Amino acid sequence: MNMIKIYKEDQNNLMVDLKLKEANVTNADEFKVELMKLFDKAHKRIILNLNQVEYVDSSFLGALVSSLKHVISYNCELVLVGLCKDITDLFALIRLDKVFKIYNTFNDVPAY
Amino acid sequence: MAHNSPKRILLVDDNLMFLKLMEKAFKKFGFDCSVAASAEEAIELLNSEENPDIILSDYEMLEMNGIEFRKYLVANPLFKDIPFVFLTFFADQDLVKEGLDLRAIDFVTKDTPVNVIVSKINNILFTISQQRELTELEIKKAAALLNFKSIPVNVPDINGFCVDFWHSAYHDIPGGDFIDFIKVNDRYNFVVLGDIMGKKWTAWFFTFGFLSYIRAAVRFAVFNGDYSTSSILDKVNSVVCFDDVLKDILSTLSLVLIDSETGAITYSGAGDLPLLHYKSIEKEMEIVTSSGLLLGLFENGNFNRQEICLEKGDSLFIFSDGMIDFSDLAGKKSDYNMFTGMIRKNLNCGQTFTQIKDNFANNGLNEQVDDRSIISITKN
Repeated sequence: MNMIKIYKEDQNNLMVDLKLKEANVTNADEFKVELMKLFDKAHKRIILNLNQVEYVDSSFLGALVSSLKHVISYNCELVLVGLCKDITDLFALIRLDKVFKIYNTFNDVPAY
Repeated sequence: MAHNSPKRILLVDDNLMFLKLMEKAFKKFGFDCSVAASAEEAIELLNSEENPDIILSDYEMLEMNGIEFRKYLVANPLFKDIPFVFLTFFADQDLVKEGLDLRAIDFVTKDTPVNVIVSKINNILFTISQQRELTELEIKKAAALLNFKSIPVNVPDINGFCVDFWHSAYHDIPGGDFIDFIKVNDRYNFVVLGDIMGKKWTAWFFTFGFLSYIRAAVRFAVFNGDYSTSSILDKVNSVVCFDDVLKDILSTLSLVLIDSETGAITYSGAGDLPLLHYKSIEKEMEIVTSSGLLLGLFENGNFNRQEICLEKGDSLFIFSDGMIDFSDLAGKKSDYNMFTGMIRKNLNCGQTFTQIKDNFANNGLNEQVDDRSIISITKN
């Protein structure tokens, strides 16, 4: 299934929504395949909106971080927006808030 | 997915009458049915819904025929492994061969009685699930023969401390959590808890690589007189970052060194959950946070080292993220504070770690959604 929907794109940014309530081991690999398919090196930045996600397990976090590593290797960025409180807290606990650039909404992300 | 949940089937046929008939028959036998009147419609459904357990498709369809549809699925990594059966009037030898070459499981002719078609699909699904179970059993046997244990059998005997642990594998299959106790000599012991980001066998296989690197890094460091936990994490991280096999695999790690002579405890962490220090006199829980990032993420893991001063009766808890996952009717959530509160409350009520372990084992605290591991270090 397509769990990632394009919200908007311009020359530098690809803004996408993740259409999942539970991001877990059952959809982690598929998520990575879909995101990497969408990742066009011409885009400098992917902005991923997680506002529909209520729970993330460690397998999905692994897919998210491994996607970040891939994107960084092309000198591009993976930015996250729309994290709920539980996920924001989890990111802070395991220091992923130091790894990802995180904003509240698409509109809060500074222009590239 | 639970074993008893209804099997999902995707029926693809441009004959709407036949499609309705098959849908009704499969629903009657407890299947969850999706229907598509063309291959194009089926592709749209596959892109918008969860993958079905099996696809039953006609061959002769306008626009994209059954073989072309099958070719499309085989070329797509997300759909290529969905079992596929042709259901058609038209089945000459060449067509059957072409279909089977595309790893279609079977050809069923449309003149077969409907209840026989349903039985056939049931048998195919049963065989697939049986094969999966057998494969899993084989892997379990092979893993047992390897005699590699990512979780120790016994607790270590460390002078001046009582160390204990509890571990529960998700769905009873070894997963990504690993625990190790490395005794250097009578004075120094290392305690290791890590969690490969993944589940079940895939994650378990990588525990080999990580544990081997950690054990080697500890031994080399000690050999050179270096007992710094952060310096050991630096070494492990450098090797993991350069290992092509592990480059997409990330792991948390909590590394604790116990010095039995001085009673000192030092700790460094990599993307791990903050440890909990239970202060027995104050009856309070203190959170011990490290700055280190996940192993294998960046060459500079930003690892710090800190000393934790345990007084007599104090305990230190190291645990994996499965311990803070909770599940109820509203869904799943991760709640570190809820877990902290539960442990503190149990300890304040006078419960021992053995009793707390019993609570975990009886699912008294939360329903398991991942591997769960916890180590307790108590100062005597």
